Amino acid sequence: MILRKSILRTIKEKKFQYIGVVFLLVLAVTLYTSLSMAISTLDQRNRIFKNDYKQETFHFMTREPLKNSQLQELESEYDVTLEERRFQDLDIDQDAVLRLFNTSEEVNVPFVSQGVMPQGKNEIALAKVFAEQHGYEIGDSITLAGTKAEVTGYVYLPDYIYMIQQQSDLLSNPDQFGFGITSKETLVNIQGEEQIQVIGWSETNSVPEGMRASVNEKSTLLQFVGHEDNARIQFVENEIEGAQTTITTLPLFVLALSIAMVLLLMKRRLDLQRKEIGTLMAIGYRKNELIRHYLGYAWFVGLSGTVLGTLAGIGLSIPLSNLYAQFFNLPSLSLFDWDPMVLVLGVATPLGLLLVLTFIVIWRALKVDPLTLLRPKEMATGKKSWLEKLPVLNSGNFIKRFRLRLMVRSKWRSFYIFLGVMFSTVLLFFGLIMFNSMDRLVETTYEEIYTYDYAIHYKTLMTDTDETKDGISPYTSSEVEVTTENDTNKALIYGIEPGTEYLNLSSEGEKLNDRLSEGAVLSKPLAAILGVSEEDEITLTNSLNDEKRTIEVAGIADVFIGTSIYLPKSEVNEFLGFPGNAYTSIWQGQKPKMNENIFMIEDKQKVIESFESNSGATKSSVIGMAVFAVIIGVIVLTLLTNLIVEENSPSISLFKVMGYHDKEVSKLVLSVYTPVVMLSFFASIPLAVLSLEGTMNSLVKETGFLMPTEVSWWMVLIGFSVITLTYALSLTLSKQKLKKVSLQEALKKQQD
Amino acid sequence: MTINVENVTKTYESGEVTIHALREATLKIPDHKIVTILGPSGSGKSTLLNVIGGIDRFDSGTLVVAGQQLEFLKDHQLTDFRRKYAGFIFQQYNLIPTLTVQENVEVGRELSENPLDMKSMLEKVGMYDKKDKFPYQLSGGEQQRVAIARALIKNPQFLLCDEPTGALDEVTGKKILRLLKYVNEEFGTTVLIITHNHGIGAMAHKIIKMSSGSIVESFDNESPVDPEKVTWA
Ligand SMILES: Nc1ncnc2c1ncn2[C@@H]1O[C@H](COP(=O)(O)OP(=O)(O)O)[C@@H](O)[C@H]1O
Ligand SMILES: [Mg+2]
Repeated sequence: MILRKSILRTIKEKKFQYIGVVFLLVLAVTLYTSLSMAISTLDQRNRIFKNDYKQETFHFMTREPLKNSQLQELESEYDVTLEERRFQDLDIDQDAVLRLFNTSEEVNVPFVSQGVMPQGKNEIALAKVFAEQHGYEIGDSITLAGTKAEVTGYVYLPDYIYMIQQQSDLLSNPDQFGFGITSKETLVNIQGEEQIQVIGWSETNSVPEGMRASVNEKSTLLQFVGHEDNARIQFVENEIEGAQTTITTLPLFVLALSIAMVLLLMKRRLDLQRKEIGTLMAIGYRKNELIRHYLGYAWFVGLSGTVLGTLAGIGLSIPLSNLYAQFFNLPSLSLFDWDPMVLVLGVATPLGLLLVLTFIVIWRALKVDPLTLLRPKEMATGKKSWLEKLPVLNSGNFIKRFRLRLMVRSKWRSFYIFLGVMFSTVLLFFGLIMFNSMDRLVETTYEEIYTYDYAIHYKTLMTDTDETKDGISPYTSSEVEVTTENDTNKALIYGIEPGTEYLNLSSEGEKLNDRLSEGAVLSKPLAAILGVSEEDEITLTNSLNDEKRTIEVAGIADVFIGTSIYLPKSEVNEFLGFPGNAYTSIWQGQKPKMNENIFMIEDKQKVIESFESNSGATKSSVIGMAVFAVIIGVIVLTLLTNLIVEENSPSISLFKVMGYHDKEVSKLVLSVYTPVVMLSFFASIPLAVLSLEGTMNSLVKETGFLMPTEVSWWMVLIGFSVITLTYALSLTLSKQKLKKVSLQEALKKQQD
Repeated sequence: MTINVENVTKTYESGEVTIHALREATLKIPDHKIVTILGPSGSGKSTLLNVIGGIDRFDSGTLVVAGQQLEFLKDHQLTDFRRKYAGFIFQQYNLIPTLTVQENVEVGRELSENPLDMKSMLEKVGMYDKKDKFPYQLSGGEQQRVAIARALIKNPQFLLCDEPTGALDEVTGKKILRLLKYVNEEFGTTVLIITHNHGIGAMAHKIIKMSSGSIVESFDNESPVDPEKVTWA
């Protein structure tokens, strides 16, 4: 069709508008494609690594190591593959810990990505990110507790995908912790405390029933961790699952803004071309031919947006995948390890939506008969909308009436501006709140509430009288099941001395330790998972002996990390069937010395440091979000104000003819939407808080932490300035267009 | 007989009042003739033309054009009817501003299965030299020539011209009338011209006069004059 030429010429003439919407679409598609590709890469790699390299189903540690014959017995009884694996935690470069394993062969098979597997004496392979962080290259030598060893390669372990030292650690930090593998002989020769664990693999990928008890009979279990409770394995799976929401929500929003803009432009175009449509209809063009013709705009925007967006998305997915590689130790096992479906969806969804919605707009415009279209619009629809009949719109001076009419006439535009500002504001506040809450989370949980410096976990139940010493506070902790009306979850129970100086349970400054006599105090994440609040009842089940106890929730402390229940120690000991003076761990202020009774030492300062080293990444992603919010805001507002200038150019021209200055005219026409922008901004703040809370709550089960979502006045101030500046910027851009409106415009239009 | 109008009535309800745009109009228009419809503003001329051209519906009566009984046609059949038989010329030319002269004519050409030759059409309307110009670069008369070429290129049976010279001065207007006469002679196209300019009636084979929706007079003109000779009101 020759008419196609007219589309291209129109687009060329209205470059700015079409570039704007295409850009919005590109953003949406880029976001979606890059995130999806990165996640699907992660997913694919995780799946292959897990299956091909026999990721463990569980692992356990016993007080006395099991003999080979005992392992074989278990293997045949439960149809599992078991392998003993030894490891040592070694101090490296002052502040870091390297967990050195012997090379396992049947379960958690290591994958060497570069270099070779360590074979000979004093050869080791290091986790890649750890090696990079500490500057070890292949061929370098590394000193391990006095023994010099050579780095032969970079290695990945299927059970250390998320590389954390302790299960309770939240953040992986290769600066502080990493792993390596070496031969058994080398490991034995290195001086230090060697630990033995058994790693197990089952075809069904679930822990066989009764196995845990059976192991416990052979030797007391110190630890038994199924893969579902193993953060090093589970975290990446949670990330993959959790990311789906972000991957779709954010791009969908931008997509909606972009499509809405296309529809507004389309409506505007069809309005402008009423006469042309009427003419074409009169001379015999069929409705479907005209629909096809006008859909050309949607095809143009849709195709250029999705194609450019997909290309940019593919490009961006590479650094994004690399970023993920910093957090998750997954080797790239194949070249093509992402889902091509991502590309199909990334193109088909926006294109399909755009075409269908534009089709509807065009179809509705073409329902009008040609004669009506050939008449000028004012005559065709002589009616005023009910809004325009409101008395406020017909009182006051001419300028006020003009502005109010402008706003009312284009209610969809007002709505669009409202949505655009809302999107930017919500995004901005997400960023601001998160920026703040990382600090708040650490401050409240680790500084105000956890006042200890070290937590020491023993291998066995302790009863001796260390606890009488000054500066030491014993406590009992164990895993229990918590049941509410709705469902059952796992949690950590802490039996503490209510008067302890090392745990200052509080909620918004109010101390809760005294309430322990009335019932349990819960951490925030647990309360969110269970959906309980103060005075609700929960039932605890001791998983070892199935004993139950129902207690009231006496308070919810501002502990933002972990699913914990706090109760008096005596009560917990009784519940768990321990002697009254028993304890499993202690808190203290001084750095402890390692001894053979100690299972693990937790250094609070290190946890805080790893949070802080991570907050850099969070903060830069927050800045990214803010920039994104501003870009979207500027585009949306500029496009809209531009459209308004274009549409009102006859009036603008008339104002100019009458002697108004550009400045006055722009104030008159452009700032019409200021109240809408302000209204949207303030309405969006609670929305941002609510939706962030919702997101956090929906993810709390996977992440195990909640973020405080408070808005402070400084956030409102920053947000307000950013949005105002964004608005001002787009007004400035549109003013350029307003200046170009010629004086003849007013006369020209009247002739038509 | 190409066009046969019988008792065609059309009314508009405008609030309390009923406007009779056409009152039982009856009329036969022979093939290959030039017909002018005269009458004061609001007398129903455009309504009559639109009804004949199939861009408007009527309330009662019968209307047969090119063998098709229009009141029985569905919307899409009406479109096909227009596509095949009718050519429209508007007072405001209604060219597509983003297309060149030739492209605008192409818009009409694409509607026909056996259109006329583009080059000779442009030459015949005298616009070949300006075939690559855009409408805004043309004078009103030139634009109307392009509109005529657009309507003619699909070789329609009749041309419906609603005040084709209404926006033109005498010299340019007469040139357009010449062109219409030429078209009628060269292609045998029936040409219906609405005008409130009574002088133009002199060039027609048949003259129809309308007043408040009714056809008040209809007579043949035995000796149509040359368009140059009409008196311009
Ligand atoms: N869409 C419409 N709605 C209401 N009245 C109309 C409409 N179109 C035409 N009319 C009325 O019908 C009558 C005939 O109009 P028209 O055929 O346009 O007259 P003419 O072309 O002779 O000036 C006029 O009174 C006009 O006001
Ligand atoms: Mg008329």
